[in-house]
Amino acid sequence: MTTTSESQQTTAIIPKARGGVVPASRPRLPLPDPDAGQRLARVRRRRLTRREALLAVGLTALVLLVLGANISGYPMINDDEGTYLAQAWAVAHGHGLAHYTYWYDHPPLAWIQLAGLSWLPGLAGSDGATVATVGRIAMLPVVGAVLLLVYVISRRLGMAVWSSATALVVFGLSPLTVVMYRGVYLDTFAVVWMLAALALALSPHRNLWAFTGAGAATAIAVLSKETIVVALPAVVLALWQHTARSSTRPWAVGGYTSGLVLVGVFYPLYATLRGELFPGAGHVSLIGAWQFQLGDRAGSGSIFHAGSIANGLVRSWLDHDWFVLLGGLAATAVCLFVRRLRPPAVAGAILVLVACRPSGHLPVMYVVQLLPFFAIALAGVLDLLVKLTPAGRSRPAVLVALALLAATLVAPRWYSGNKLAVTANYHSGYVAAARFLREEVPDRAHTRVVADDVLWLECVDAGYQPDRVIWFYKLDLDPGVAATLPNGWRDVDYIVSTPALRGDSKTLPAVNTLLTNSTLVARFGEDVGRIEIRRITKEAP
Amino acid sequence: MISISLVLSAFAAVTLWWTMHAWRTPETLAATRFAEPDGDHRVTFSLLVPARHEQAVLEHTVERLLRSTHQGYEIILIIGHDDPETAEVAHRVAATAPERILVVTDENAVKNKPRALNTALPYVRGEVVGVFDAEDQVHPDLLEHVDHAFRSTGADVVQGGVQLINYHSSWYSLHNCLEYFFWFRSRLHLHASKGFIPLGGNTVFVRTDVLRGANGWDGTCLAEDCDLGVRLSSRGAKVVVAYEASLVTREETPDSLGSLLKQRTRWNQGFLQVLRKGEWRRLPLRQRLLARYTLTGPFLQAFSGVAIPIGIALALLADLPVGIALLTFVPVVPMAANIVFQTVGLRDFGIQYGLRVRWRHFAWLILGAFPYALLLSVAALRAVWREYTGRRDWELTAHVGAHLGNAEAGAA
Repeated sequence: MTTTSESQQTTAIIPKARGGVVPASRPRLPLPDPDAGQRLARVRRRRLTRREALLAVGLTALVLLVLGANISGYPMINDDEGTYLAQAWAVAHGHGLAHYTYWYDHPPLAWIQLAGLSWLPGLAGSDGATVATVGRIAMLPVVGAVLLLVYVISRRLGMAVWSSATALVVFGLSPLTVVMYRGVYLDTFAVVWMLAALALALSPHRNLWAFTGAGAATAIAVLSKETIVVALPAVVLALWQHTARSSTRPWAVGGYTSGLVLVGVFYPLYATLRGELFPGAGHVSLIGAWQFQLGDRAGSGSIFHAGSIANGLVRSWLDHDWFVLLGGLAATAVCLFVRRLRPPAVAGAILVLVACRPSGHLPVMYVVQLLPFFAIALAGVLDLLVKLTPAGRSRPAVLVALALLAATLVAPRWYSGNKLAVTANYHSGYVAAARFLREEVPDRAHTRVVADDVLWLECVDAGYQPDRVIWFYKLDLDPGVAATLPNGWRDVDYIVSTPALRGDSKTLPAVNTLLTNSTLVARFGEDVGRIEIRRITKEAP
Repeated sequence: MISISLVLSAFAAVTLWWTMHAWRTPETLAATRFAEPDGDHRVTFSLLVPARHEQAVLEHTVERLLRSTHQGYEIILIIGHDDPETAEVAHRVAATAPERILVVTDENAVKNKPRALNTALPYVRGEVVGVFDAEDQVHPDLLEHVDHAFRSTGADVVQGGVQLINYHSSWYSLHNCLEYFFWFRSRLHLHASKGFIPLGGNTVFVRTDVLRGANGWDGTCLAEDCDLGVRLSSRGAKVVVAYEASLVTREETPDSLGSLLKQRTRWNQGFLQVLRKGEWRRLPLRQRLLARYTLTGPFLQAFSGVAIPIGIALALLADLPVGIALLTFVPVVPMAANIVFQTVGLRDFGIQYGLRVRWRHFAWLILGAFPYALLLSVAALRAVWREYTGRRDWELTAHVGAHLGNAEAGAA
């Protein structure tokens, strides 16, 4: 039961509500978002239409066709490709992160991803190719993603459809790309994730989860190949620019940081859980590996000193395609001064600066990371050039002039380079050696072979025991491997001498001993590219 | 262990996703604000202010309400018959504006907030009922914005922002403030747009006819606000949430860990009661899932607050295979991301309210995260315990400024 406090049962009045007579005299709060409409228009403009998507996918398919044709014949397989494939094999078959002790040489995400893709080549068949070259087919979807991302990023940087398509084509059809992106390299995985991070940081809706995803993608890129970490400032810059004057910038930064750190931390966490974070006696360690990579690793000299390894490498890149490298370098310098094109230019510039350091290790596949950023910068400059030309008659003239220049300067070189790529067979030696090891060697299950990383996988596939096929350099460098040979080199039955093995054998005494105490059984190819299968002469003194 | 880890990760990820709703894009953030009012005053309000042993703060609250720029409103103060001190204050302020203020005496034997509100409902003459607590600091412009919100959106319910302000008082106050910040600033908007919303306890405005049609508040429920929201959602009422830092109703956190624990226990128990009442089962499937998830949320949170640290301890100390050990860390990812976002939120909170957030506050935030999760877990367990042993009385939270002794005595 309830009573009111006084006799009065209600308030005297609710004064009559007024309508439309109160002047708006009080200071008003700012309107929620005055330029929201404008921004929505921009969002719509940057979203791909179906026709555009068709264009990008079509061009990607064209490039993949060029990349895929004769992928097992050219270029000559690199020993590192074999290494990564073997590690992917180890992951796929439940042998841990590598079939030898994983020593944190590289973070493992790339070959874990490769293991996830390794079912693909089975679909394509592997006639006349080695297992290792078939691994290249597994890389094609990754390259496809790189190509599409180059297009998407170009569009999100505000470039036109034609110039974005140019970026895709310049990147995809450069003979240097065709050579490098055919390889099974960790860098390709790193690139695809770093480009994904850049695309996400440029999310048209400026969605918080896209920014968080950008952070995660950056971390996955770095955990695929650690050296790409130098491109991180480009993503951060893109994020920072893209959220300028937005109410959500601090949250975007928070999201990016969360994604980056919380995914990235799993690698040191893995090392910690295994007790392998810090160096110590009797075990490998993450920090120990970093010390080696940063400090102790033999450098390849300066790219400016004629005769150094690095210099030779740059020359060979330029031989494949000077246009994308020199043009890209110039374009990168220009784009550094254009706000909207700055992120890819920053990535390109840092990668160039790192390559220019006076000493340090410059790997063969370094250029893989550089190419997409150079291509975007190149197309960005073309886009800029056309946009700066006053609309009207002079604009078509500029386009025609650019097309003519491309046709005379670039097209012939690209044609011959790519013709070589789709016809040459540099690989018959390996194929023949693989066939010999598969068919001519008796009692394979009990035969111990020392080979390079490419033929390792070949042997395992042919029925040799994984622990009886030995990567040649492990003989000298992994005490665990030496321990499996109680009688030393006499426990080995065959050694396969390949260019990679001969190149390193000077510093590997055990390999040298095997080469000396062996006789030639079969030889494939000539001169420096030859592959020899040699039987160990155990009765030698 | 693997499946627990995955469930916990999913739960933490979904919670994080929803907590961050308002900041998803600049557009969503802009949409969470009150639209600029047009200056018309067309809706009439009856503002209900239940007060219990709150003589110290009531007068100030009413004075502030009287400063409202809106023209059409009345204030109904609801005082228990056994509370002469508060009644005295109520009558004194009522005398200063007799045409605006009505004092209603609640003579229910068992006193709680929903019963007090129901007591006042027959006296309501405004088209819209608004609820405030006796310690609330209400902004003079609020009613005008709410008026406009009702008219421009056709809403049945408008929920305004409530914000605890005294983040500097202690480490748990800081966490409590941030909880409110994320809840009112962000999460409630998601609930409003999805069509299932547990309303807040004050600064909530309901059309009088809708409220009467729903028979007012549930006098037996410990979370009458949540219950009302669930019942109105189930009947298809349109709910609009708007948050404007300058317009929020300011409150303070419970003055001790004990009273915070009691308050949280009461809310959790209220959520349990609402869950058991099952009104939410009348909702369509998607909202029903959201309802189930929201109402069980505090208990899942309590479980994960304990389970995740145990998982980590196991991973570090026991000799688990490295893959499984890594998996136990997965739920930590969204939790840690939550702390990162809370850090950003604390900074934003400081900017929005013109407060100086110092390094020690960030330290409280990070170091206090686990103890606070533990506190929430204890409150959740306590709620379950009380509900199943049938203890459903109202544990009132004392407010600084009130005479603590009296308040404790009143909270039987």
